[in-house]
Amino acid sequence: MSAPLELRGISVRFGRFDAVSDVSLAVHAGEIVGLIGPNGAGKTVTFNVASGLQRPRAGRVLIDGADVTGLPAHVRARLGLARTFQSPQLFAGMSVVENLAVAAHRFTSGGLLTDTLLYPLRRAALAEARERAEAVLRFLGLEELGGLDAGAIPIGITRLVELARAMCLRPRVLLLDEPASGLDSHETRDFVELIAGIRGALGCAVLIVEHDMDVIMPLCDEVVVMSEGQRIASGTPAEVRENPAVVAAYLGAIATDAA
Amino acid sequence: MSLRLLLAVGLGGIPLGAMYALQAMGIVLIYKTSRVFNFAQGALGMTAAYAASAIAVDRHLPMPLALVGAVLLAALIGAAMERLTIRPLRGALPRTMVTLGWLLTLQGALGFYFGNQAGRVAARPFSDQAAISVPAIALAIGWDQLAVLGIVVVFAVALAVFFRSTNLGIAMRAVAEDEQASRLLGIRVDLVSTAAWALGGAIAGLSGVLVTPLLGTLDTTTLIVFTIQALAAALVGGLTSLPLTLLGGVLLGVAQPVVSVLLGRPPGINELVAFAVILVALAVRRQGSRVDASDRGLDPTPTAPLPRGRVLWGGVAAVAVIAALLPVLGRGQWNFNLAQTAAWALAVLSIVLLTGVVGQVSLCQAVFMGVGAFGAAIATGAGVPFPVAVIAGGALAAVAGLAVAVPALRLRPLELAIVTLSLAFTADRFFYAWPPLVSNDQRRTLDVPALLQGRPYSWICIGALLAGAAAVALVRRGRTGAALTALRTSEPATEAMGFSVLAAKLRGFGMSGFLAGVAGALYAGLTGVATSTPFDTTRSILLLAFAMIAGVGSVPGALLGGLIVTFTTLTFGASNSIASGAEAASVTAITGMVFIGVMRIAPHGLAGLASRGLALYRAAGPPQPTPAAAAAQAASS
Repeated sequence: MSAPLELRGISVRFGRFDAVSDVSLAVHAGEIVGLIGPNGAGKTVTFNVASGLQRPRAGRVLIDGADVTGLPAHVRARLGLARTFQSPQLFAGMSVVENLAVAAHRFTSGGLLTDTLLYPLRRAALAEARERAEAVLRFLGLEELGGLDAGAIPIGITRLVELARAMCLRPRVLLLDEPASGLDSHETRDFVELIAGIRGALGCAVLIVEHDMDVIMPLCDEVVVMSEGQRIASGTPAEVRENPAVVAAYLGAIATDAA
Repeated sequence: MSLRLLLAVGLGGIPLGAMYALQAMGIVLIYKTSRVFNFAQGALGMTAAYAASAIAVDRHLPMPLALVGAVLLAALIGAAMERLTIRPLRGALPRTMVTLGWLLTLQGALGFYFGNQAGRVAARPFSDQAAISVPAIALAIGWDQLAVLGIVVVFAVALAVFFRSTNLGIAMRAVAEDEQASRLLGIRVDLVSTAAWALGGAIAGLSGVLVTPLLGTLDTTTLIVFTIQALAAALVGGLTSLPLTLLGGVLLGVAQPVVSVLLGRPPGINELVAFAVILVALAVRRQGSRVDASDRGLDPTPTAPLPRGRVLWGGVAAVAVIAALLPVLGRGQWNFNLAQTAAWALAVLSIVLLTGVVGQVSLCQAVFMGVGAFGAAIATGAGVPFPVAVIAGGALAAVAGLAVAVPALRLRPLELAIVTLSLAFTADRFFYAWPPLVSNDQRRTLDVPALLQGRPYSWICIGALLAGAAAVALVRRGRTGAALTALRTSEPATEAMGFSVLAAKLRGFGMSGFLAGVAGALYAGLTGVATSTPFDTTRSILLLAFAMIAGVGSVPGALLGGLIVTFTTLTFGASNSIASGAEAASVTAITGMVFIGVMRIAPHGLAGLASRGLALYRAAGPPQPTPAAAAAQAASS
């Protein structure tokens, strides 16, 4: 069986700078994969290649074995790829539940003409999107938030709402871009449990880009380490932690930071 | 076509091109320090030109006095703009929209004071006697043109030195880069911005006084349309480089007469060339350049939840009864006013959809109306029944909307404002003089069957408005509406939710174009003739102003906008047409001032004020938890 998400030989170049060189990774069904590395390692670029915001110079992206390299982000989303953003991008001017309903509309159909001319026939579909959104909020215990303006909620909660919105896509693969940044250690522990719970409930695979080892270590089945645009190691969290190349990359980065 | 002729017309275009560059430098200077496009730059130049004419021609005072006085006046207005209306606002787009308010105010005030017909004698600082003449290629350049060239070159060099070597120039560059950091470094940011706007105003004034003799007319539109040329030159310079701006202006000045001669001198070709230059310059502009908060669209307007259940059906019934009864209450003029209000309200509604829901600022809605009007007139001329012709006009305008949506995909909101304004200018001069659209005498009759005239026509217009309002309200509730509202805050996130931003924008612009086109066709049907006058650039800007004043976030706000149009025509204008002359000018000026005021104190318009008042009234009841408190409560549970 082919993996829900696979990157093969991805390279991205900005001008003369090789941001990512020949990176491959696979996220298998039900697996949580962590993508780690020092600042500037090319993690986020790789992540954007997977979600379709960045075109690779070489390499292929596969969803369930099908080549989606040339497909735009919204088609990949409909194929089951959901993502969150490093700086949460909730839709302002909409309530939390409406934010989630945007994603839940993946399962409804209809366009401009049917929405306006055949509105009575469309009410069921619109109600369905809303119900899906409310169900996800209930699952996360966030029902009270539903009516709030998404532009006016505290930053820590926006991460949860963004996660809830991604869940409304019923993803086969959930892509999380530094989901724990800005959370304190207590919130981070809760968040780790939450991700594990979501994986269990949705049965989806997860790819996490993260700095925080408190997230990566307890959560990931496999960790891929990048440094300077290249994949330098992979394995279980324990294996990676002992890997000399990884230690060197991180310590090198720390030494450079300190200098 | 002889090369000699082309060479002569090309070289002859250099002085005018230099004037484009001078005006463009004012735009660049202001953009560099405050990241705002001053769309009123042309209006400032026009103000100075009128002032110079009043001083030198009417009062027979010495020319140097007129020149200095006019430039000082423009500088003063520029400083006032910054101090009073730009500084209190946040965000590049609202600030840029305020300059449109100034454009309306200045244009209206001058028209009111001096009369807005052509035929005023311009002040002429330099003689138009030939200074250089090359008989071999039939080229003659006058002293005035030569002087203009010299002044522009001196100015360009002086500005470059100013930015590079003077304290104020360096401070301006620093403020442009980072206002907060500049403040921390001890730069008096406020003073620096005011100085930049004063200098930009002075440049606009100088170019206005110098260019009027070259253009040969002094009226209240020519210099405003001139803005498009300056925008083109400024964009060639990437909005930063003064030498490139100079080069861009001169090349544009050379290219326009050459293209015009090659194509057989069609009217409006200069604006068409400038428009093409703007599109190309924006397309090749460095992609992926720094994106900061000022690049975002308008802040989302809070939208009131739609009524449901009994309230909804009660409302629908009440509206239906009122709509059916209103036309019965009067005859003749009453029905004309009703139909007019409904048609213009429908036009404002097209902005509610595009600006209020999608967050895109379009300055060419009146062009869509014009396309709809002429399209419907062409259709009835071909024997199509009137109602079908109106739909056909709307469909043609929808196609125009789609054509605008394509560049809108890659443009930031501020750039889209430039493109749509330029399109409106181009329509004024080119499309409204283009025979396939407007016929040879630039007007097409639009015959409404006698059966549909009078009271039935009011019903038609009111029905169209209600259908449009219902459609906009339903779209906002539906699937497409979810995508349209979402992409305003974050296009990447909208894509990540499975919606194509391209498809959503196409739908938004197409529907907005359709509504505006139907409105234009209905208005033309009311007056029996499609002409360009009601659909010019000023009207496009006025429509946006009406929408912003009324409240761009609400469907009822559109009706308010339509009422403003009818109220102003009733109060100031001829009884059965759009106001013209001094009355129209006063309407324009007042609208401009109210627009500036609304942007300043009530960003969500009168409808926003009303709902805020309602919220305050309700808050007197049981206290509602604040969003933050409720979120914290939910998180801890």
